[in-house]
Amino acid sequence: MSESQLLTEHYHKDTYKSLKGYQADGGYEVLKKAFKMEPQAIIDEVKASGLRGRGGAGFPTGVKWGFLPRNDETRYLLCNADEGEPGTFKDRMMMERAPHQLIEGMIISAFAINSPKSYIYIRGEYDQCIETVTAAIKEAYDAGLLGENILGSGFKHDMDVYYGAGAYICGDETGMISSLEGLKGQPKLKPPFPAVQGYLKKPTIVNNVETLAAVIPIIDKGAEAYKAIGTEKSSGTKLFSVSGCVEKAGNFEVPLGYPLMDLIELAGGLRPGRKLKAVIPGGSSAPVLTAEECLTAKMDYEDLSAKGSMLGSGAVMVIDDSQNMVDLLGVIMHFYHHESCGQCTPCREGTGWLSKMVHSILEGKGRIADLDLILKVANQMKGKTICALSDAAALPALSFVTKFRDEFEDYIKRGHQYAAEALHV
Amino acid sequence: MFKCTINGHEVEVPEGASVIEAFKLLKEDIAHYCWHPGLSIAGVCRLCMVQIDDGPRLHIACNTLVKDGMKITNQTEVVKEAVRWGMDFHLINHPLDCPICDQAGECGLQEQYMKYGQYDSSMAEKKVKKRKVVDLGERVVLDSERCILCSRCVRFTDEVTKTNELGIFNRGDHSEIGTFEDQPLDNKYSLNTVDICPVGALTSKDFRFQQRVWYLKDTDSICTGCSTGCSIKVYHNKEGLFRVKPVFNEKVNGHWMCDEGRDLYKHVNAPVRLKQILKSVGNEWFPLGLERALDHLNEAFSKAENISVLITAQHTVEEYKALKNWAQQLQDKTINFVYWKNNPESFDSFDGLLIRGDKNPNTKGLLEAGFEFADASVLDSSDLVLAPMPENPAVYPKYMEKLEQLSKLQTQLCLLSVSNITQHETINFADGTLAIPMKTAFEKAGHFINHQGLTQKIHKGRVIVKAALGLDELLQAIKIGKWIQPQLLKSRKTNESSKVSGELW
Repeated sequence: MSESQLLTEHYHKDTYKSLKGYQADGGYEVLKKAFKMEPQAIIDEVKASGLRGRGGAGFPTGVKWGFLPRNDETRYLLCNADEGEPGTFKDRMMMERAPHQLIEGMIISAFAINSPKSYIYIRGEYDQCIETVTAAIKEAYDAGLLGENILGSGFKHDMDVYYGAGAYICGDETGMISSLEGLKGQPKLKPPFPAVQGYLKKPTIVNNVETLAAVIPIIDKGAEAYKAIGTEKSSGTKLFSVSGCVEKAGNFEVPLGYPLMDLIELAGGLRPGRKLKAVIPGGSSAPVLTAEECLTAKMDYEDLSAKGSMLGSGAVMVIDDSQNMVDLLGVIMHFYHHESCGQCTPCREGTGWLSKMVHSILEGKGRIADLDLILKVANQMKGKTICALSDAAALPALSFVTKFRDEFEDYIKRGHQYAAEALHV
Repeated sequence: MFKCTINGHEVEVPEGASVIEAFKLLKEDIAHYCWHPGLSIAGVCRLCMVQIDDGPRLHIACNTLVKDGMKITNQTEVVKEAVRWGMDFHLINHPLDCPICDQAGECGLQEQYMKYGQYDSSMAEKKVKKRKVVDLGERVVLDSERCILCSRCVRFTDEVTKTNELGIFNRGDHSEIGTFEDQPLDNKYSLNTVDICPVGALTSKDFRFQQRVWYLKDTDSICTGCSTGCSIKVYHNKEGLFRVKPVFNEKVNGHWMCDEGRDLYKHVNAPVRLKQILKSVGNEWFPLGLERALDHLNEAFSKAENISVLITAQHTVEEYKALKNWAQQLQDKTINFVYWKNNPESFDSFDGLLIRGDKNPNTKGLLEAGFEFADASVLDSSDLVLAPMPENPAVYPKYMEKLEQLSKLQTQLCLLSVSNITQHETINFADGTLAIPMKTAFEKAGHFINHQGLTQKIHKGRVIVKAALGLDELLQAIKIGKWIQPQLLKSRKTNESSKVSGELW
């Protein structure tokens, strides 16, 4: 299977980020096509395409749109560009290289769900993205692609950029809505779900950058053509951010169902003389896969789920034998401890507890009994909270300790030695 | 109405009720910290876990609506395990300082721990350090380490008082309740945050370190602070009264009461009370023996032709009835009733929540008692003025001014007073003025009628001053010519204060 480029075909061109360059490569042509369709037909097409949310949860996009109440209430479209999952950097590239692709995808989506206003919520650290997207929106307004009566269609749509302040939790859709409303970025209790009551208590659809961009090829080529790519239940292509112990880290667009080992090869393969130890296939919250599991792993929703992990945001972190799993878990646990919003007790207290236990081990003060305690604590954090951050912290803890228990036990037994080594480095 | 089954018991709940409300209706046990019936749903403590229709997923009862035919349980091992761990998560960073914590004895954590505790500390790591004695405002102190971040207090200032002084600052296990710069927790209902705090994080400056709660008894009563008439509980022991808390009353105060009302136990306690009968002679107060006092009373009331009663709306329905009966029996005398409103200008004000300008618990009761009120000018021509004083003269300054005026006219007064009358040094009471200790609303039983016309009962609680009389009891003594309970009157301490001279008779 070769790299199939529905979205990133022109990303290598410097001109692609300007309106002129984007239009030269067929930009905004699909929007014209979409305006000739019935909004409901667009929703049906997206539904039929089997497109699933590319942000992490993988919820079918067309189904999500279908949850909107059938009334005249103002509805909002929010683009989740708060790419915070460790290891993920695909949305960044999309916004830096092809801001108009996102804008076009958003106008089509907004037209489909009849939304007069959308916001692109960009992660605060992405200053380059904020710049390119803001400039592109201005270009689009100047060209009559945003604002009143877009391209003579009678459809009115306004778009704005809003940026976060670097909180991971604002990547959760309701956390993002809170932040956008000017509140502390904390997820909201569901139900009500955003499609019924979201931003400013109005029906709201929140989609990831890649999801919104993927609407373009679906409308362009049709649901059938889109569905032909990928696997039966995971259709289309996906951008994977491959990082870690590979020669050529980067973003790669491949059809879903692509073998993991081939994806690693696309990224230049492992460094010379190194052996694969493990791969985190979908961002730091996805359970880790052992080298053995990697051999047969296919990068789609079902196969990874069957292996007890998940596709997540598509951040593939490759771990070779030079890495220490305790160390890595320490970094991951520190991250979730730092990012827990603190609302729900199991997450607020559990993330800190897990982090402290792993760091005790790292400092050479670990006890073998800690490993079982980590598993118990992590198990009780799963599925107990408002949002998925608690699970995101629990899953790596569970998978690391279960699958690499020998390494953890060894570290605990020789803890002082390891800790001293770490200190000298 | 929806029918559902909770732990095997069937219950009918109104449509739109949540699962936790159904549990409460059935009085079935369910652990929870963040849910409070008077506030919005936060869904953050994650303790009210239930299983629905035997499904594998756990749901929080507070944010789940009951559907017809739903089968709900919180008795399965999965739920119990989740609650046990939920408790552990609450406790790992909570200080073990129950022995010095004011909440001990009425603490949500202690209660749930007894039911769901793991009884074996599994946390070997260091606890998170947070701020200790944080001064949040005029009345409330915060201990952040004890706080379990249920956000009840934050929601209270957001939703009930709409003053928004409190917020949760920082993230994760470093989250803390706090106030914004230069905006202390300073609203008229701030102590409700202490009541709804399920742990010892928010404590009342007034009550902290005063008493262990298990040494306190409580009596149901009605707040006398204004005509709203909030339902309250008064907490007391042999050392006196210590605090007042609101009791849920759907018709009157909901779950809340104001801070002003919380202070209304202070004038009841012994140090500020009048404890014996005093007589003013030559601008000095002298204690009066029981027999002498009775003689004096009888003499004063039989001699006087023109008697006025300076009455306020602070007495019970029963006392007004006694007053009316007493007056009807003295047909040979002129008896005028003067209704004393303290603050006519702000009398009808209302803050939109609970506080009313009418600072009397029984205005409706007085007005409905059927008195014919005379103009205040009749006081000046009276031989004797019977003045059952307002309980707390501090909030009734004009009443005291009137007494001062009358004293200047050398009018004979018969005062029935809660507070120690000798502290009013500026007033030169006429010779022969009697001051008799009066019962407070917490020391007598009876009824008040609030502004809505709702008749509410007050219960006799702890008697602080044994010699104190109710208005009805005083009138009875005058009528029958002997004390109702002389044994009690005798048992008082004789040496009241340095301001009282030695016994004259």
